[in-house]
Amino acid sequence: MVVSKSLEDVAVIYPQGYLNNLVGESLEKECNACIGKGIKKIVLDFSKTKFINSIGISILLSIIEKLKKHNGILCFTSLNKMHEEIFEMLGITKYALVFRNEDEALKHFRVAVKE
Amino acid sequence: MSLELKRILYNISALADLGQEVTSKKNFNEKIRSVLYVIMGTFLAVKGAIFSYEKDKKEIVPIVMKGFDSAFPSRLTIDLAHIESMKKNEAYRLAEDGNPVASDLLLSQLSHAGVEIFVPLWTRDELIGALALSSKFTAEPYSTEDFELLKVIANQIAITLHNHTLFMDLSAQLEENQKLYQEMRLIYHDTIQAFAAAIDAKDVYTKNHSYRVAKYVVAIARELGWDESDIEGIYIAGLLHDVGKIILRDELLNKKSPLTKEEIMEIKRHPSLSYNIISKIKFPWKDVVTIVRHHHERPDGSGYPDALKGEELSDGAKILTLADAFDAMTTDRPYRSKLDLKSAIEELRNCLGTQFDPKIMGAFCRVLEKEIKGELPEPNILPHLDDNFDPSIITSLLEATIKELSV
Ligand SMILES: [Fe+2]
Ligand SMILES: [Fe+2]
Repeated sequence: MVVSKSLEDVAVIYPQGYLNNLVGESLEKECNACIGKGIKKIVLDFSKTKFINSIGISILLSIIEKLKKHNGILCFTSLNKMHEEIFEMLGITKYALVFRNEDEALKHFRVAVKE
Repeated sequence: MSLELKRILYNISALADLGQEVTSKKNFNEKIRSVLYVIMGTFLAVKGAIFSYEKDKKEIVPIVMKGFDSAFPSRLTIDLAHIESMKKNEAYRLAEDGNPVASDLLLSQLSHAGVEIFVPLWTRDELIGALALSSKFTAEPYSTEDFELLKVIANQIAITLHNHTLFMDLSAQLEENQKLYQEMRLIYHDTIQAFAAAIDAKDVYTKNHSYRVAKYVVAIARELGWDESDIEGIYIAGLLHDVGKIILRDELLNKKSPLTKEEIMEIKRHPSLSYNIISKIKFPWKDVVTIVRHHHERPDGSGYPDALKGEELSDGAKILTLADAFDAMTTDRPYRSKLDLKSAIEELRNCLGTQFDPKIMGAFCRVLEKEIKGELPEPNILPHLDDNFDPSIITSLLEATIKELSV
């Protein structure tokens, strides 16, 4: 299950539970839908994500690729220690902004918007 | 934990993911799509495809792909002679100079479409399909370890694809499936041996420890009359029992000075860490995970992590405990040098009932005696021991112990 909300030009998406097949694919669909609507700032909040396996990683890669193509920005928020370690080890964190929580990510975008 | 070890762990869990998907009850299309995702996630490839080979048309057809654009060819003619000249289930880097690739139409077409890695998939003598991956997301090149891992994975997908065609084919025979099952087990062995080597390499003092322990447990289990499948299971348990040490710091494992209380606590975590890691892998053998978890338990209930008593422990766990301790005694450790064979046997004897189980000890003594007397064609214990012992003294010690245990 994936829950999302959009605030102006930013979408916040919460992958729930286990980021493997089903959740992974609905997450990708959700992101593609946002990009289709012209929303190119996507915040993935992992506070409700229990587990990410290699399938989840491949899904995240395609989201990053897609956003890159559309000059979008991806943020990761509320990463737990385990996820952060995996992402860092794999070098994924280089391609996304990492914030402690959703609010910080949103604050960042507001500032960026004003400039 | 070093980056390298983190990667090893990630790869182990990716293989576990793969095993899970391959053996899942999903329908074939869903299964093969998940398999592709696992592979792409493992190697961080942005694009990937799995092809199946259509024999009559001599074409490969993508059955699942991700990331490639719509211009990606929907079928490709192959030059069988050329494919046959490549190694089976081995990964090839297409962009590399001096590769047979440039001259081949298929491979240059693929290379053009963004494929960097190509693996022809075979089960024994039958071409079954192919796997194609793009370059890595991080632009890093594929490493030697990646190529090794790809080989293991290629074997697994080949079998999955083949099983599917068998399933489709009504003439599928049980015998054929059995052969494939055997192959699958061999692949497991290879993979697990690779992990065991990684564990043993980490701890300089316990070099080949897992390997020897695996040999010893097999000898004891066979002496106890276990069937071959259970013997195979305990062999795997022997190879993996200390895998949890991968997570512990190197300095801790190789420390010469006495350990502090905290450090001992830390080291004592390793059986549960091993358990956590391997409980993710679906084994074709039963009990592997519990045997591993309990390899530091003791019949008197003073062991760890669960402080189980004798009757709560399986024979498998008790065998592993004894074999593990015996190898620890007969090899050098950071804090002491090794015992000679006679002292080691006496030490085991002194700890009967408290640390070791008498029944297991009896079997151990019997098999060791047989090996020393040359009664076994393939000894498992003797080749790993120093040969500076007096056979007649050891045999009489073993005989005395066996006699004592039988009353
Ligand atoms: Fe151990
Ligand atoms: Fe051990």
